[in-house]
Amino acid sequence: MKTTKKEQENKIKSRSKKADDKQKLILEILKTHGAKIYDDLENGKFPKFSIPSRSVSNIVYDKQLRQYILGNNSALRSSRNSAQLRSFTQLMWLAFFANRLTTERKSSTLRDIYYSSQAFAVEFEDQSESDNIIVDLEAVTSRPREDFHIFPEERSSIFGDLNIEYTIPGYEGKTMNLANHPDGYSIGPSLTTAELVSTSAEIVIAIEKGGLFTRFVEEQVDKKFKSIIINTGGQAPRSTRTLLKRLHDEMKLPVICLTDGDVYGEHIAMVIKSGSANAAHLRDLTVPDAKWVGVWATDIEKYKLPTIPMTESDIKRCYDLQKDPRYQDGIWKKELDVFLKLKRKAELEAFSKYGLTNITDKYLPQKLELAKSL
Amino acid sequence: MSSIKEKFNQISPSEFFYSNRDLAGFSNPTRSLYTAVREFVENALDACDQKGILPDVYLTIKAVDPDKPDPKPYILTVKDNGPGIDAEHIPLAFGTVLYGSKFGLKQARGMFGLGATMAILYGQITTNKPVTVKSSSDAKIQNQFEILLDIQKNKPVIVKHTTKEVSKTGLTVSICLEGDYSKAGNKIRDYVYETSLITPYASITFDDPKDQKFSHPRFVKEIPPPPTIIRPHPHGIDVERIRRMIVESQFEIPTIDDAMIEKIRKDLGLSVKNFSFTSIMDKAKKKWKTLPRQVRVVISLMSFLKMDFEKLNKIRIEDIDMPNKKLSYWDFGDSQSKSVDMDPESEYYKQLTNTVQGEPLTTFLTKRFQRIGPTTAVKFAEFAKFKPEKRMGTLTNQELVNLSDALQKFEDFMAPDSSCLAPLGAEPLEKGIKKFFNPDFVAVVQRPASAYSGFPFIIEMGIAYGGDIKSGGPHVYRYANRIPLLYDEGSDVVLKVVNDTDWGRYKIKGEPPFIIVSHICSTRIPYKTAGKENVADRQEIERELRLALQFLSRKLSSFMSKRGQAEMAKKRANLYAKYIPMIAEFCTELSGKKKEPNYKKMLETEIASENKKAKEEENQIENN
Ligand SMILES: Nc1ncnc2c1ncn2[C@@H]1O[C@H](COP(=O)(O)OP(=O)(O)O)[C@@H](O)[C@H]1O
Ligand SMILES: [Mg+2]
Repeated sequence: MKTTKKEQENKIKSRSKKADDKQKLILEILKTHGAKIYDDLENGKFPKFSIPSRSVSNIVYDKQLRQYILGNNSALRSSRNSAQLRSFTQLMWLAFFANRLTTERKSSTLRDIYYSSQAFAVEFEDQSESDNIIVDLEAVTSRPREDFHIFPEERSSIFGDLNIEYTIPGYEGKTMNLANHPDGYSIGPSLTTAELVSTSAEIVIAIEKGGLFTRFVEEQVDKKFKSIIINTGGQAPRSTRTLLKRLHDEMKLPVICLTDGDVYGEHIAMVIKSGSANAAHLRDLTVPDAKWVGVWATDIEKYKLPTIPMTESDIKRCYDLQKDPRYQDGIWKKELDVFLKLKRKAELEAFSKYGLTNITDKYLPQKLELAKSL
Repeated sequence: MSSIKEKFNQISPSEFFYSNRDLAGFSNPTRSLYTAVREFVENALDACDQKGILPDVYLTIKAVDPDKPDPKPYILTVKDNGPGIDAEHIPLAFGTVLYGSKFGLKQARGMFGLGATMAILYGQITTNKPVTVKSSSDAKIQNQFEILLDIQKNKPVIVKHTTKEVSKTGLTVSICLEGDYSKAGNKIRDYVYETSLITPYASITFDDPKDQKFSHPRFVKEIPPPPTIIRPHPHGIDVERIRRMIVESQFEIPTIDDAMIEKIRKDLGLSVKNFSFTSIMDKAKKKWKTLPRQVRVVISLMSFLKMDFEKLNKIRIEDIDMPNKKLSYWDFGDSQSKSVDMDPESEYYKQLTNTVQGEPLTTFLTKRFQRIGPTTAVKFAEFAKFKPEKRMGTLTNQELVNLSDALQKFEDFMAPDSSCLAPLGAEPLEKGIKKFFNPDFVAVVQRPASAYSGFPFIIEMGIAYGGDIKSGGPHVYRYANRIPLLYDEGSDVVLKVVNDTDWGRYKIKGEPPFIIVSHICSTRIPYKTAGKENVADRQEIERELRLALQFLSRKLSSFMSKRGQAEMAKKRANLYAKYIPMIAEFCTELSGKKKEPNYKKMLETEIASENKKAKEEENQIENN
């Protein structure tokens, strides 16, 4: 189907309007907070605000949302309290700085933030202190740091037939097909903020390891199974989780996860599905419909996979997760119990015992089939 | 009964102390130089104290040959503006051991008439030079002596004696002695410095071998009230001391010579013509109460002998046998022993009883001890299982020991009289600490008088924090009877008490800059050694030290928390001043405003109020 030039232009306009709207919204949130502080000072009062408490006792599991959220407890931060004054100022600076980043559409890393502060005589003891203040900003605004153009250093990557259109300054309107480069595209600020235009894929496969990602590209899993392949690089970074959510919500694509056959793998899938307690203050980072298809503990027997014994910490992690409300039923509980019974684990590479393409030729199709019934 | 004098003659005290000089602090050239300085400076201060004179003390130490390496001979001179000593007493005071004027029971630095002589002795032994003493006690004539000590005989040998006209009283003593100033210098300077802290009413100047002058002018103009001499407390007494007191209380049978006869005639107011036996006895009866004891004894003897002086001159009293009421004498004329009976009912009999057998126990107690009344004396006699009228002169050795034990054990005696003590006083002590350390906090306390083994004592203590005090405290300044104690710290009771304290409990942490000044005043400081450097741990003293230190530590602790609050208020003010403007700057841009919010007034008010809080806490600290 051909689109007229006019239609094309309108589409671009509406897309960039979407980005503009988001920017406006973020700036508006920051402005509201800033104005409250300003008014307090103007009225001769020590400014204060409240912030949801992130203490363990205030992190609860929401069954409906199927993720961890913060409870109703909140803490008051007052600039009159000399013990809080410093962190109060740090947070004000961060909001001020995020405002500039968002206005100018510039991105920065967590580490950048730590160093940038020094130009404004706002001291952070170390990066972990500035990281903490960033989480404070997220909690106060209920917005992930990426919305303020603050990104972590870790990168994961994506490959497959997906057309995107950049919104970052200098690239506005430019489009890209993510199947053009066989090493994949790294999921950074430009990709996270890009518009998702179109795709022929019917599924998203999130895979834990870079090695398997390369194998999947080589074996043309994208074409054979009409899929977009994402390398999570271990625990998926937030920007990757946001992208997964958008692929699911905006492009209506199901998401499946393929991890190592151990308790950590199982939990990587769980975090994609329902988030982590660390990000209980944020929404929109989860894909509740995401499915974990393997490698399951039961696969170890079934596929006669070579195994290695679990370590002490693997076993301890199993017991920890048994207490997690999300592991109380379904395959989550079943597989965890089997891991504990076997006390052994198998990596994705274990399939290579039966030939390098065994995983893509045999295992993957069976699992994709199975996923439909999960 | 062997007398005290006899005992001394058996072995020369000089000899004794020569062989025991280590005990007195003359063990080596370093220590000896330091001890000699102390002895002379302390004598000068004692002399001024006793006469209520504000002391000016000049100490000089000069090497005889500055180019020689240490140890080497030094000339040590101490000059004072005190009362001086009469010419006739100078050789004795400085040339014999155990001659002194401070035996009476009251607080003084010197104690046994020992210090100066030991220093002189040491100088003489090491350099073979005499001591030079210049003294004027009348502000007209100054006597100058050069004296050597005869160690065998405990006798001074005057090498030279000259006089000179002067206009002020005072004494200068100068000796030549082997010393090591390079090693002793620090201690001597510390000694002078610390002495001036506990003697704020004295001016002390020190001119050292390197011609450095250390001058400590007085900063208090009043001398603390002088102590009074008092009688001993029964708890502080031993058998030997009782024996001595009995000897003192007994009156020897007077020798009846011409001088005595003349005295009796005058006391009775009789003319030479009318000096017969009957007129003597008549007159004596009338005047009995006013007659001196000697006279009464002689007349009592006459009354039994029924002799006048002519006859009396021809006999010698042999024995006064009170139990058998017989008076026996040797008659030179007949060359034989004779005796007469004494009538126990007569006044004269009683008089002789007192003389020969000593006082009754109760009289002895009330007259010769402090704070014992007749009732207590009788109660004590009952407790000790003695008859109240038991004559002191008739006590056997065993009875003496029993009496001494009972005196220790009887608990109903009043606490020792402390008027014999001369504490410095809380006010001058505080003034001294402030001047010396310029501290942020100081507190002093003078405990009420207490006693150990019958010796009264008073603890004075001060504590100071911050200012010029260096960190790593507590630094402890120990004093006893206004003498700084600088050696042998390890085993001292004051340090024991300080070390037992858990300073964390008083909010004093880390390497705090604080000092403790402790002053023990007593008629007898329980020194561990004759070198007078560390005090033994007597339970009663330790207790008082603890109470004093606890009291002061609590004060320091409340200062520390107030200071903490003051610091917090200041810190808050600083934090506001730093951060609020930043918040204002950030929120202005954030909220899209052009002008910064008007927060200055609020900030100023808040900072002012925090600073005021800090000031108030600080003032409160100062007022305490
Ligand atoms: N500077 C002085 N001024 C007046 N009298 C002094 C002075 N130095 C010593 N004396 C007298 O000499 C005596 C002996 O002194 P010392 O041998 O040091 O004994 P102590 O000080 O123990 O009495 C003292 O008791 C005192 O009477
Ligand atoms: Mg002396």
